[in-house]
Amino acid sequence: MGQSLLAPPPSRLQLDHVPLTDRQFFLLAVVLYGVSMVYSVFLFRRGFREDSRVNYGLLAAALVFHTIAMAKRGFSFERCPVNNLFEATLFILWTIVAAYLLLGAWQRLRFLGAFASPALFAVGVFALMPHLDPPPGPKPDFGGGWISLHAALVLLAYGAFGLGAAGGAMYLTQEHDLKYHKMRAIFSLMPPIDRMELLIGKLLVVGFVLLTAGLALTAKLPRQTAVFSDAKTQWSLLVWAVYLALVLWRWRVTQGGRRFAWCVVGSFLFVLLTFWGTNLMSELHR
Amino acid sequence: MPLLCVGLSHHTSPVEVRERFAFAEAAVPAVLQALRESGVVDEAVVLSTCNRVEIYAAMGGDARLALASLRGFFLKHHNATGTLDKELYALSEPQSIEHLFKVASGLDSMVLGETEILGQLKSAYDVARRGGHTGARLNKTFQRAFNVAKHIRTETSIQRGSVSVANVAVELAEKIFSALHDRQVMVLGAGDTSEKVARALLSRGAHSILVSNRSFDRAEALAKELAGRAVHFDDWAREFERVDIVISSTSAPHYVLDRKKLEPLMRARRNRPLLLVDIAVPRDIEPECNFLDDVYLYNIDDLQAIADDYLKQRQDEIAECERIIREKAAALLGPKSRPDLQGGGLAFGHK
Repeated sequence: MGQSLLAPPPSRLQLDHVPLTDRQFFLLAVVLYGVSMVYSVFLFRRGFREDSRVNYGLLAAALVFHTIAMAKRGFSFERCPVNNLFEATLFILWTIVAAYLLLGAWQRLRFLGAFASPALFAVGVFALMPHLDPPPGPKPDFGGGWISLHAALVLLAYGAFGLGAAGGAMYLTQEHDLKYHKMRAIFSLMPPIDRMELLIGKLLVVGFVLLTAGLALTAKLPRQTAVFSDAKTQWSLLVWAVYLALVLWRWRVTQGGRRFAWCVVGSFLFVLLTFWGTNLMSELHR
Repeated sequence: MPLLCVGLSHHTSPVEVRERFAFAEAAVPAVLQALRESGVVDEAVVLSTCNRVEIYAAMGGDARLALASLRGFFLKHHNATGTLDKELYALSEPQSIEHLFKVASGLDSMVLGETEILGQLKSAYDVARRGGHTGARLNKTFQRAFNVAKHIRTETSIQRGSVSVANVAVELAEKIFSALHDRQVMVLGAGDTSEKVARALLSRGAHSILVSNRSFDRAEALAKELAGRAVHFDDWAREFERVDIVISSTSAPHYVLDRKKLEPLMRARRNRPLLLVDIAVPRDIEPECNFLDDVYLYNIDDLQAIADDYLKQRQDEIAECERIIREKAAALLGPKSRPDLQGGGLAFGHK
């Protein structure tokens, strides 16, 4: 009661006094993703025989910087930071790392980080390109919170698909090693392939539910132009259909094996490679 | 009061000698009693397994004389006429303590790094302790030996992996299937090795075993032993849809399972992974089967190569384990372990 109503919220005050900008904090996170990637090569060469606690620690430290970057951006603009390509990319990467740290509580799933870090580093470097982060307008349209929720759900979904793709890469590595009798298959501490497939399936379902909810929220958004003729909307529906097919495939056959894993990795690569392009083509999302 | 050790093991003697000098499990308490009543030792533990027969003892006085008395007791108890100079070893500190630590850690075992010996050592110690044949010296040393074994197990790779073909097959299965408890195993050909693999899978929780053999009687007999079900050899393909792991060791001169036969069977299995373990010579399963999706085929050479690699890894760890053991033994003995203060230990015979 004694606190002045004019005083900014404590968290904002603290973040304003942090000497680095949000982009610099994100740069630190990307550097750690890079270190994690290099360490992942070491883990790979050692045949995944050692618990990847170091990698887990590196990604946890990166997430701290990543979270500060997002929080600083959010507090400085007083909105959820999902309004341009830079912010959207930050959100997707943050989801992947946060979900990984959660799953990494189980020792054998910590190796997911080794498969996720190259993508985290590559996409992180790409996100740092200045043209992806144009200066914000004087008064961003917040759209009553629905736009933020829509964007957040969709980006969380892509995060889940991303981690699923990392799981797919891990599955394919282990499957290949088992198939071709590589010693690494048996000496590694990676989980059995059918458990990896179970994990991939669950991540796909979570991602699909989030994507469906995010897309369904489109109905609540202010209409500026015809939604269905927008390139990004059409692309999103295509992505939704692709992941629906994957979820149905997994549900029907119980185990999809190598082809399923390839499709999961391929689908996310498609999302990754076309996400920015369709955004730039979209009137609604640019 | 120094720790002494007299005994023989697979390193120094063949099985004919070891079995002659073994102490029957039921006779061990009486041996311990006789040892102490003879005044040869103050404390004693007798370890008698198929690969070693050893007496660990603590006694006062001169170590050289004490070892000679203990050696005499050992020979006299078994009515040995010779001196067994080549077979029998006699160790005093610090070699006796380092030897005990090596035995506990599986470093002195026939299968390097095996853990069964630790259980046997604990059991031998327990028999002696319950009979009142151990005191402060042996209690402390044996407890330390158990701790060293645990330390070595957790800090090195000496016990990592499987060095037997049967256990390698189980490890492979566990790299494919997250749990074996709902997995169906099929044994084609009721040979000894396939039985070992099947037993290893069962011990790790495999759901059930189907046994198929040209001689149905033999299949039935093995199925009964494994609490499984026998299947006529002409019908095994009908059961294939529900099977996850196949162990094949028939004596057929041709392939029992080839790619052409497996392809439709895999379609019926709807992409479920299948582990094929072919331990037959000549091989039962066409190598081409491995190129089918979701099929993982390993033959006897593949399994042996993995087991050999594990063994090599274990051998690479020996130096590190021995360093730990020397350190721990020195820590237990304190300043008296230093040769400049003690004049060194006694070690007779081979080890």
